[in-house]
Amino acid sequence: MKQIFTKSNFWRTGLLLFLLLLTGALNAQVQIQGHIIDQATGESLIGVTVAEKGTTNGTATDLNGDFKLAVQSGEAVLLLSYTGYTPQEIAVAGRTRIDVAFAEDMTTLNQVVIVGYGTQRKSDLTGAVGSIQGDKLKSIATVDVAQSLQGKLAGVYVSPGSGEPGAAAVIRIRGTGTLNNADPIFVIDGMITYDASFVNPQDVASVEVLKDASACAIYGARGSNGVIIITTKSGAKRGNALISLNSYYGTTETTKRIDLMNAAQFAQSYNELTNSQYFPDPASLGEGTDWQNEIFRTAPISNIQLGINGGSERYSYNISGNYFNQSGILKNDELQRITVRLNNTFQVNNWLSIGNNLAYSNVKRDIAPAGVIGSAYRVPPTVTPKDAAGNFSDPTSPYGLAIANPAADLFYRSNNSRANDRFFGTVYGEITLFKYFKFRSNYGFDIDNETGKAFTPIFQVSPSQIVKDDLLSVRRNQKRDWIWEQTLTFDRSWGETHHLTVLGGYTAEQRRFEFLEASRRNFPGTIDDLLYLSAGNDTTQANSNGANDEGLVSFLFRTNYTLFNRYLFTVSARVDQSSRFAEGNRQGFFPSFSLGWNAAQEEFIENLGWFDRLKFRFSYGILGNQNSIRNRYYPSLGVIRSGLYAIFGAGENLNQGATLVDYSNPDLKWENARQTDAGLEIGVFGNRLTAEIDWYNRLTYDIIAAVPIPDYVGSGSAPLVNTAKVRNTGWDITLNWRQAGRFGWNVGAILSPVKNEIVSLNDQKSEVFGASIQGEFATHSVPGEPIGSFFGYKTNGVFQSVAEAQASPRLEGETAGDLRFVDLNGDGKIDATDRTQLGSPIPTLTYSFNAGFDFLGFDFSADVLGVTGNQVYNAKKAARFSVYNWEASVFEGRWTPENPTATKPRITNGGHNYRVSDYYLEDGSFIRLRNVVLGYNLPLQVIQRAKLSKFRVYVSGTNLWTKQNYSGYSPEFSNADNPFEVGIDNIGYPVTKSWQVGLEVTF
Amino acid sequence: MKQAFLSIPRIALTSVVVLLAVTGCQKEFLDRKPLGQLTADTFFENADQAVLATNAVYQKYRDFDVIALPWIGLTDIISDDADKGSTPTDALYMVELDELTFNATNTAMTSVWKGHYVAIARANLAIERIPGIQMDETLKNRLVGECKFLRAYSYFLLVQWFGDLPIITKPLTGDEYYAQTRQPKTEVYAQIERDLQDAIATLPEKSQYGAGDLGRATKGAARGILAKLYMVEHDFAKAEQQCLEIINSGEYSLLPKYSDNFLRVGENGRESIFEINAAALPTPDAAGPGASPYNMVQGVRGVPNLGWGFNRPSDNLVSSYENGDPRREATVIYVGEVLPDGVTQVKDNLEIVNERFNQKAWVPAHPGLQDNGPGNIRVLRYADILLLAAEALNENGKSGEALVYINQVRKRARGSSTLLLPDLTITDQSQLREKIYRERRSELAMEQHRWFDLLRWGRAKDVMIGVGKNFIENRHELLPIPQTEIDLTEKKIGQNKGY
Repeated sequence: MKQIFTKSNFWRTGLLLFLLLLTGALNAQVQIQGHIIDQATGESLIGVTVAEKGTTNGTATDLNGDFKLAVQSGEAVLLLSYTGYTPQEIAVAGRTRIDVAFAEDMTTLNQVVIVGYGTQRKSDLTGAVGSIQGDKLKSIATVDVAQSLQGKLAGVYVSPGSGEPGAAAVIRIRGTGTLNNADPIFVIDGMITYDASFVNPQDVASVEVLKDASACAIYGARGSNGVIIITTKSGAKRGNALISLNSYYGTTETTKRIDLMNAAQFAQSYNELTNSQYFPDPASLGEGTDWQNEIFRTAPISNIQLGINGGSERYSYNISGNYFNQSGILKNDELQRITVRLNNTFQVNNWLSIGNNLAYSNVKRDIAPAGVIGSAYRVPPTVTPKDAAGNFSDPTSPYGLAIANPAADLFYRSNNSRANDRFFGTVYGEITLFKYFKFRSNYGFDIDNETGKAFTPIFQVSPSQIVKDDLLSVRRNQKRDWIWEQTLTFDRSWGETHHLTVLGGYTAEQRRFEFLEASRRNFPGTIDDLLYLSAGNDTTQANSNGANDEGLVSFLFRTNYTLFNRYLFTVSARVDQSSRFAEGNRQGFFPSFSLGWNAAQEEFIENLGWFDRLKFRFSYGILGNQNSIRNRYYPSLGVIRSGLYAIFGAGENLNQGATLVDYSNPDLKWENARQTDAGLEIGVFGNRLTAEIDWYNRLTYDIIAAVPIPDYVGSGSAPLVNTAKVRNTGWDITLNWRQAGRFGWNVGAILSPVKNEIVSLNDQKSEVFGASIQGEFATHSVPGEPIGSFFGYKTNGVFQSVAEAQASPRLEGETAGDLRFVDLNGDGKIDATDRTQLGSPIPTLTYSFNAGFDFLGFDFSADVLGVTGNQVYNAKKAARFSVYNWEASVFEGRWTPENPTATKPRITNGGHNYRVSDYYLEDGSFIRLRNVVLGYNLPLQVIQRAKLSKFRVYVSGTNLWTKQNYSGYSPEFSNADNPFEVGIDNIGYPVTKSWQVGLEVTF
Repeated sequence: MKQAFLSIPRIALTSVVVLLAVTGCQKEFLDRKPLGQLTADTFFENADQAVLATNAVYQKYRDFDVIALPWIGLTDIISDDADKGSTPTDALYMVELDELTFNATNTAMTSVWKGHYVAIARANLAIERIPGIQMDETLKNRLVGECKFLRAYSYFLLVQWFGDLPIITKPLTGDEYYAQTRQPKTEVYAQIERDLQDAIATLPEKSQYGAGDLGRATKGAARGILAKLYMVEHDFAKAEQQCLEIINSGEYSLLPKYSDNFLRVGENGRESIFEINAAALPTPDAAGPGASPYNMVQGVRGVPNLGWGFNRPSDNLVSSYENGDPRREATVIYVGEVLPDGVTQVKDNLEIVNERFNQKAWVPAHPGLQDNGPGNIRVLRYADILLLAAEALNENGKSGEALVYINQVRKRARGSSTLLLPDLTITDQSQLREKIYRERRSELAMEQHRWFDLLRWGRAKDVMIGVGKNFIENRHELLPIPQTEIDLTEKKIGQNKGY
């Protein structure tokens, strides 16, 4: 190859090519006309795009299915495209009249699916793999591609967790398989990572979700929670460059506000609670302050993407740049991201090809103190944000509360920023070694340099909201991960009879993290230019530095054998050795096998004429879950904690102290999962109706979890242990009807029922507790029930009178107006033995429906999704330490001596009414209009005058409508990654809704 | 495509890559240790590390769960000496202690239980591992002795609060976590006694420590706690013996001025037998590395704003003193009073009705915020030992000798006055007992001894009912075991009677 491509002359080459093609369009032209019909029905097709290959020249068929187009020469090639039809290339070959019978897209059968360490035709696939094209994801306005997967694939449950800009989604593939971290891994262009947040959704070509043991076994120790493979766009070897611009702008806001007590209600309840007339005339106080208005806002979101894509027979390139900016719904909260991507392939000679997928992202976060969301909920509405003199009000007076003024915290504590420079990518070389043998060496890296800076000035709002000494702290975090993979593939076909692929490989991987932090105080000013450590008082300096690392060595193997294109066999396995375990427990072996039968190709099925596609699949295998110890690098080693100072001596000297604080478990071993999957794929009515149905049974055993241990052990935290078996059984059901044509439309449904059940716990335990709320566990996990089921007292209304209370079994002196706990065991008293199973935090069904159409240039799509069968514990309502504000529902209809027939308890602070009970349990199901998009493509006849090949405008909305019974912001909240606390709402950054208008232009 | 079956460049390139990849990854690649941190298996290798591990035990006694609200709540506030204090609605679990309405989920129980068992676990590790270190034997024995003293101290508090306890004397391993049961309190007493006897044998006297080690456990401190243990066991002969050993050691004497005990000048002074040392090091907004929250939680709330205002000396305490007893003024801060700094006057705080504060927890202005508390927590004073000596002697029928010691305490308390607190002369055992009990209350009020005294005297019920508290017999003599312990052990740890 003569041309040596460096990064700098990509652009030049691309641009040159582009200009060349533009000038070409001005040359002598040939008029072509033609008529396009549907191959199957003979109907004329209206609006079929007819473009000249390698140019921006094009048109569309009219109402009669006719088109006319002037092309450069008789050598030109026409490109036909139409929604739902297979794109077709037709050489003009000197003709002036070209009529085409256009065929509907049946390619799902031949579609290539990315699997680990290779690709497979979908028809050859024996594992359960969900696949979605990138353009189906880009209409959700989000910085994180994982967020856009919500409701898109069967068996893939996505919870946004938080509305914070850039917040990571919580993803569960086929249920919650473990008591610890149940997140899947991401494989981005071959590089394994736990954090895909840097991926720009518009760079994504496809997302594949590996769900069963057969598909995941090649990822061995990290496969049991599923694998999400993200493949970014590569250049098309089409000759010309396409330059595209994609931009949107919109706004985000809260989906819902909590109905809090107003000032009059708060004052009244304060009087009742303290048995005083502190507020002489509560009603006169009116509405007061709704603190939610002081912290939340409607915030802008914007995105602009510019890309160039092209290539030739020997090379291809895809280059893109993106700027994304989202302001948080919390004031002073903002995320900005720049991403740049360079994806290239080169065929160096007839035996060597090399390529790269390189991404750079720069994220800048201005972080608002998220704690203000909790304080806005609790701070008295009788207080104004600022007093008459314009100073922040002290909300602690006169109530004696240790609560901060959230408006003041937002003002003083928002000088907190973080910036990440992340380089992520893979480079590879592939050698055709002998006939049928290919050797590939793939090096992946992930380098993330994070800098953080936070400054808190001197201020005083109240005795508890005070900073006497200003503080600047800076942070440098450095992540350095690499993977180096060597694979050898044998691939051979013997006619149509046999096809055999064998893959063997060896990989090594290292992950390392290091932090460095430093701080000083007493700065001579507060302007940003001054805020560097050296400007502070050097006698106040403090610093810290530490690191952790891990190594993983693996061997992998897979063989696929296809007989007559009908009978499919796959065997795969991986051996992983991880530094996280002690030497004797280091190695894990993860094998799987699967079978497939393309029954539609059997003569006797073909003869029926019913099925365009009929396939049966079965798989079984064993997977590991190293993710469950993702944040514990050395779980089997007890780490000595330093900084445990003692003071001795007349001079009060500081004496360093250190000891083992957190106990460890030297016997920790791999967590494993056995999974069985049976699948069926059907296509009927010319593949208009397709269905993919999988049943699975996943048994996770030796589950690693930090199970609470008694306090008398004296460990600071619970060590990890192999503790339990959990079974997830369920169905992944995907149904689609797709109608192609002038009015192309589609409807689809995805249903994912799952049953989560603990099969057994280890021999020491018959129940595992979690989520301590005020000295009491709120969840327990026992065999036969879902993980982290709510556990506490049942209630049966409210005692209406003192006499009634005294005549009943009581826990601790309940009286008139208090909750009546149910004496479940009938022993005449209420005690700990009356606690019981109250409900499950895990949805039994997640579902989504989608619909869309294309008509005369308009496109429309909508997704609705929902979950059902789960409950939420409203812990923010139950947590009481002092006289804070409440939700209005606490006040309205409460028991008072004047209202003795109430169903809600009287207002109290602390005590039995706040014990863990079903009174605070709420329905967690919801249904939500996840996404709706309406777009319009300008007709080609119009845009080609401007040398454009695409011009689309659209409006889209995300989470516009939600029907939920839960009284909080959303039943989806941020501690969703801890299975013991998954349904406990302690109030966090709420999920948002948004509107955007967007523009896509290609030329 | 006509190709040579074997092509040298391809094979060579592939071989180089494979060779590089394979040689790069040996066994060391997978043997990884925490970076910048010691691990349990590499710790305890030299004398320095033995000292570090011992210091880490002391550190725990400055933590909130051991020394702040839970501590004063379960000693003073729960007793007749003090009310909850602070604003009416602040820290409601403390109200439950004051009103004796607590149950097994109260934060205070959970905190002291966990906090002291953490201290015990740190001591257990040091006691197990320090003997294996090659180091100076005297230092080695002393460090183990210090840890045994601290372990005994924690068990002594726990057994008085909770009764029967799981006795843990070595670091537990996985299969033992849930398998512990409560041992009879007599077994706990025996364990405490063994540890304290070992500590007495190995610890130096206070005067034998270098200036930089002042504040470490001493022979006298171990004898003092042992004397208290014997008092709880009503083994007055042994208690007498231990008290007299301390008295005759010549290590201690009463400070001339009672109130000096609670000021900076009294820290580790002649009268101090054991205290938990704290210091407000000139650092930050946050609590510094030597701070304790003890002063903050009891500090004056309002103007001046020194803390949270918990632990209000009760009306009953205030009226319990003999007429004009100067110790009352040294114990209670009233509205309008000028603080010991001689300048600051306490203003009325409208949030709190009839507020008072614990003067013994007052500390002068110091660097940092309220939570950077500098005050040493006085655990054992010589006056306490003198009164225990008097009490034991009286119980042993030696009233005359008892009078010597109680009168030493009274003499110091009255200062130069010739009218107040005259020497006692009563020799009737039961009358003198009442005098000694009253003297203990006046001398040691608000120093977190009262509840334990009431319990060992068997007077908790009568006294508490006397001040209008709903003390239930066969319930309130002991605290409830934290519910989480019962749940986690599936009732192998049982609950106390009445809860």
